[in-house]
Amino acid sequence: MSEGFVFSVFLVAWLSAAARLSIPLLLAALGETFAERSGVLNIGIEGTMLLGAITSYLVTLWSGSPWIGLVAAMFVGLLANVFLAWMYVHVRANQVVVGIIFNILALGITSYSYRLGMGDVAGPQKAEMFEPIAIPVLSSIPVLGPILFHHSILFYLTIALVAVASFVLYRTRFGLQLRAAGENPRAASAAGISIVQMRYCGVLISGAAAATAGAYLVLVQIGLFRETIVAGQGFIALAVVIFGRWDPWKAALAAFVFGAADALQLSLQLYQIGLPPQLLLSIPYIVTIIAMSGMLGKTHQPEALMTSWRRE
Amino acid sequence: MKILILERRLVPSDSALAIAVTTALSVLAALLIGGLLMIPFGANPFQAYYQLFEAGFATWRGFGFTLVKAAPLIMVGLATICAWRTGFAYLGFEGCLLIGAAAATWTAMQALPGGFLEDVPFFAFLPVVLMVSMCAGAIWSGIVGLLKSRFGGNEVITSLMMNYIAVFVVQYLVSGPLRAPGDLPQSPRLPQETWLPYLFDGSRAHLGIVIALIASFVVWVLLLKSRIGYELIVTGLNPKAARYGGINVGSRQLLAAFLAGGLAAVAGMVDILGIHHRLVDGLAEGTGFIGIVVALLGGLNPLGCVLAALLYAGLSVGADAMQRQAGLPASVIFIVQSLIILFVLASDLMRYYRVRSRATVVMNTKVESR
Repeated sequence: MSEGFVFSVFLVAWLSAAARLSIPLLLAALGETFAERSGVLNIGIEGTMLLGAITSYLVTLWSGSPWIGLVAAMFVGLLANVFLAWMYVHVRANQVVVGIIFNILALGITSYSYRLGMGDVAGPQKAEMFEPIAIPVLSSIPVLGPILFHHSILFYLTIALVAVASFVLYRTRFGLQLRAAGENPRAASAAGISIVQMRYCGVLISGAAAATAGAYLVLVQIGLFRETIVAGQGFIALAVVIFGRWDPWKAALAAFVFGAADALQLSLQLYQIGLPPQLLLSIPYIVTIIAMSGMLGKTHQPEALMTSWRRE
Repeated sequence: MKILILERRLVPSDSALAIAVTTALSVLAALLIGGLLMIPFGANPFQAYYQLFEAGFATWRGFGFTLVKAAPLIMVGLATICAWRTGFAYLGFEGCLLIGAAAATWTAMQALPGGFLEDVPFFAFLPVVLMVSMCAGAIWSGIVGLLKSRFGGNEVITSLMMNYIAVFVVQYLVSGPLRAPGDLPQSPRLPQETWLPYLFDGSRAHLGIVIALIASFVVWVLLLKSRIGYELIVTGLNPKAARYGGINVGSRQLLAAFLAGGLAAVAGMVDILGIHHRLVDGLAEGTGFIGIVVALLGGLNPLGCVLAALLYAGLSVGADAMQRQAGLPASVIFIVQSLIILFVLASDLMRYYRVRSRATVVMNTKVESR
């Protein structure tokens, strides 16, 4: 075998894994972009992802259809985020505090529901999953084909969602109003925009997206449920949003970078390279810290992010 | 005829009575929801709660476990108080705890045969291990503090990211430099002379709770009775006014970061030398976040934090006992714990209203006069 062939096998394995691993990050980040653009830092997406994962798992097991599981997960995500939005917007509680405690609550609810739903069923049961779909013609392109055109339906939908999100955010009246609520709520309110409505919309969109991301982990990646299934991916999605400068297309790129770093350490562990895998694993986090540190100039976050709004 | 009406206030009532009543209502509401969650498992909520409080507080052995769990929570709570009251919204206590645990392990391993702390008596070893852990934690949190005070970085995200890096650091240490021979990635068992001594017979309570109580007194004096504490709190209340008053805001935030990291690192040290006696992966289990909750429930006050930590630790111990005895999932209590604080936050809204009794006649005249 030539070295070139080995390298191309490695490249295909690495990048197709990267594409698969970056989707949940991207989904959650797309939603969070809307929340943050409306002025709310929704740290609760970590917990919402977990709720989405458990809901999709239990409902798919019960109904046998991943589609029903997905819809149920989105519904639960919306419901949980109505509560979060109420805490952020009406109670005007500290957004960081509410998010952190909601994540602990979500872990409790998840493990309770698992006990209630599974009872004493011995051994893990595999849920029905979304199977990969090979797109005709395109999937037979060498290298690119298996990387981009041999994935589950949710993969293609997510890519489409990036375009939709970008269009809604920059080309519609709703997007303009949402961004106004997050940049300058006083001026926006004076112009007749309901800040309350916009922020509820932002948080609810992030909730539905995060729950879908959680469902993806179950229905596409492993088909099982564990309490450690999310393991900080919601927080990484927060970093993806910042790294992507609150823009859907840049978020897609950022999510791919994070997914690639994750997939790289998996691949490199197989190849027995001398570097400790933890060093590779921590690269995305270190990059985020540097990006957020202010050393590279100020990032232009929405002006009113993390401030609560009261009409005067 | 008189009726009761709700009247909206312009500012929330901040009387002690209003706060006490709303807090009590929040705790009751959370316990009520927890009780409802027990019913599908066929348990009697009253009995379950009775067993829970008995296990966490009323037996000598159980109360010992409560003290063991409370010590790290108090330390993280104190760290939260120092950071947040200075306006440093740090969330990286989980990471500081892990780094403190790693530093304590490394120091205690020096007491193994051949190390430079071999044959050092415990009363001399304790200050050394405290210093090493605190310095390690302070440097760890200082990175975020420096980025904030020097470059204006966002500490919320950077400190969350640092938590993951700390997990990787511990994973690396137990699979490489500190690994003991054997199949499992873990450090060697620490020599018994370095363990925190147990306080009483028949109880697992160890010296950690004493360290935590002393620390909370020190933080109380430092924060509420000293000039430095005054400067920290003013910085947190209004950085612009503090700067105008001649306080170096950046250096005070950095100091708060050091304090927070040092205190949270002691939580890790206490867990290593008091419970685990070796470094393993998956050590923190959310203590760094529950500690924040404890500090908030205690009103960001050192004394309140101690009480809240005892309550939370007792509930956790009781939850484990409940799971063993009644077959109820312990997660019910985790739900109750987080609901308590969410309801306390939401009850702020209740304090915007007052209940008044009013004659209907007055209402009518009011309507007519419009």
